[in-house]
Amino acid sequence: MTDPTSHSGGNMITRVAVYGFISLALYFVLYFFEDSILAYTSQGGWYFIAPVVIAFVFSYFHGSFTSHFWDTLGIKAKK
Amino acid sequence: MDLATATNFIPLNALDVTYLLVVGFIGGLVSGFIGSGGAFVLTPAMMSMGVPGIVAVASNMCHKFPKALVGAIKRAKYGQVDVKLGLVVGASAEAGVLYGAHIQQMIHDSFGDAGSNLYVSLAFVVSLGVIGSYVLWDALKMRRDTGDEPEKVARLARWVQSIHIPGTMVYFKSLNARVSILFTIPLGFATGMLAATIAVGGFIGVPAMHYVLGAPSLMASATELVTAFVMGVGGTLKFSWSGLVDIRLAMIILAGSLFGIQLGAIGTTYVKPHMIKMVMGVIMILVLVSRAIAIPVYLSELELIAPLAPHLPGALRNISFVVLIGALAAGAAIVFASLWSGISASRREAAVATAADVAFAPDTVAAPASPQLSPVGRFERFLLASDGSEYSDGAVREALRMASKCGARVRAVNVVAGGDAELYAMGEQLITKELNAARACLDDVHLLASSAGVAYESEATQGNQVYQEIVGQAEKMQADLIIMGRRGRHGLARLMVGPTTVRVIGHARCNVLVVPRLAKITGRHFVVASDGSRFGDNAAHTAARLAKLYDSPVTVVSVTRPEHSEERRREARQIVNRLISFLKQEGVKVEGTVPHGRPDEMIVKTANEKNADLIIIGSRGRTGLERVLLGNTSERVIDQTQCAVLVVK
Repeated sequence: MTDPTSHSGGNMITRVAVYGFISLALYFVLYFFEDSILAYTSQGGWYFIAPVVIAFVFSYFHGSFTSHFWDTLGIKAKK
Repeated sequence: MDLATATNFIPLNALDVTYLLVVGFIGGLVSGFIGSGGAFVLTPAMMSMGVPGIVAVASNMCHKFPKALVGAIKRAKYGQVDVKLGLVVGASAEAGVLYGAHIQQMIHDSFGDAGSNLYVSLAFVVSLGVIGSYVLWDALKMRRDTGDEPEKVARLARWVQSIHIPGTMVYFKSLNARVSILFTIPLGFATGMLAATIAVGGFIGVPAMHYVLGAPSLMASATELVTAFVMGVGGTLKFSWSGLVDIRLAMIILAGSLFGIQLGAIGTTYVKPHMIKMVMGVIMILVLVSRAIAIPVYLSELELIAPLAPHLPGALRNISFVVLIGALAAGAAIVFASLWSGISASRREAAVATAADVAFAPDTVAAPASPQLSPVGRFERFLLASDGSEYSDGAVREALRMASKCGARVRAVNVVAGGDAELYAMGEQLITKELNAARACLDDVHLLASSAGVAYESEATQGNQVYQEIVGQAEKMQADLIIMGRRGRHGLARLMVGPTTVRVIGHARCNVLVVPRLAKITGRHFVVASDGSRFGDNAAHTAARLAKLYDSPVTVVSVTRPEHSEERRREARQIVNRLISFLKQEGVKVEGTVPHGRPDEMIVKTANEKNADLIIIGSRGRTGLERVLLGNTSERVIDQTQCAVLVVK
């Protein structure tokens, strides 16, 4: 995640849009392929890595989105 | 896998998803603020939807570690995270988690569900009762006694830091001290055990890092996120190996909680340290109440007390769950309120700073004649000049306090007088040693700044002339204020203010605040001195800004000398009346006086009579000789008074 305060207004909105779109897309994939994803991730054994990887991917994109989201709304850390 | 036939995973409807998003958001908000404590309600919340207990625990764990990671990264940007301490505590916490789970299993095998539930509830009541009460008591005490003071290191932590056990000592930046890992291991272990028992290790982890090791509470709560990440990854791997993680539940909760954790982390930059303890204490006590309500049910099931009426167990369980939700909601409400008031205050400050120049109309009081490097009334960038000695203590304390009030950024410099050939001749090693010592002092200040929530940067540097370096740094950063100490008042030093301070006042183009070691600016009473020049007007303008900030009454003083004519005395009274009228318009409680005598003596006398904690004075006089005289006046005032003096340019 990059520091949102280091970007200009237009740049910031673009970033929110991009991260928001990717985040939304990830959740759509999870929704539409619910059964297969659940079946794949709950096999146990060496498949243990699947939920962990999914969690990391979601946290990166959704985390970046939420960070920029509050910033765009003007809710920023006190300087 | 067909969900209808799967035993572990339930179908989700829109209501379930909304419920998880909301609980996730509130949980994340609290976690971002106090480091953990937002997840304990999620396991029972999922179970209430029909998710089997073990899957609820596994899915909760799988959402916790990415959430903790995102929160830790966010708070690391604010300089609040000690990664090393988090990892060291996290490693032993993993062992605690495994042992805690083993104990749980043993109790479950021997006494069944009721025995296990009773054990968990008793763990809640005992640990939260002891730690929660202490944390809440400490938060209330801090709020009452020293709301603006930087946190003090607890006596226990000072003792722990003083113990040296060879081969086990590790330096932690949040403690700014070396501590034996023989202390961190049991703390981490206890954190892990509590996490395995009640799902929130942070209820031990954060107070332990703060009270036992000595980390500032802001840093302890931020560092706990690293520990929670380590524990979360370990737990997720274990449950995932058995295929128990419901990735849908984990990711839905994560969707809400990442919004919350970002907001909670932002909230920490607006609050004083005692608010972290307040939120944690309130949640701990309410959770305790929630569990205590359920204890009779388990005691009855184990036949340790008489059976309860048939409807009672269900009712008690429901009340217990509602109080649990209430605990989280109360924590979230405090975080929201703190965030709201913090942001509002910050915006008000910005508005006041902008509006002040407009309100200062020329027909009331003369506006500054020329554009200044430091626009009057602006307090956004502070340069703190520290020499690391005890004489800088007051300057450091008041710089952080004022910065915290104004929302200003602080840049601290410690200048080593090492540019001359003589010192070079003594060897580069000596200079390096001096610079390292200077950096260590600045790091101490950094910790205080972090715990006060002040944006801070620092530089240890060297220069031929210390004052030149300080003034140069102030110009470079366009500082609004230079804050520095004053040398001792004993022996020869009593006769004069330190030469560096005098030269900085003489050469700086921005305001200079000189704070004696023991002086505290608490808003008791401010004295503003004016000779009617634009510098005096600037002093009044700055006084208005500060008086509102500190909610302090002000006395305006304009001194006339015995040899002054009646006309000059009348002019002095007009000056005082004009400034009183201006300050009243600004909403400041103000009075005035026109004493006769030596200006420096009269200003100090007025300050003593009013028990003032700050004297604000224009930097130069009006014309010719008076200009020189009043220039000397500010130095003499600084030399004679025990309180802080703000020299306004």
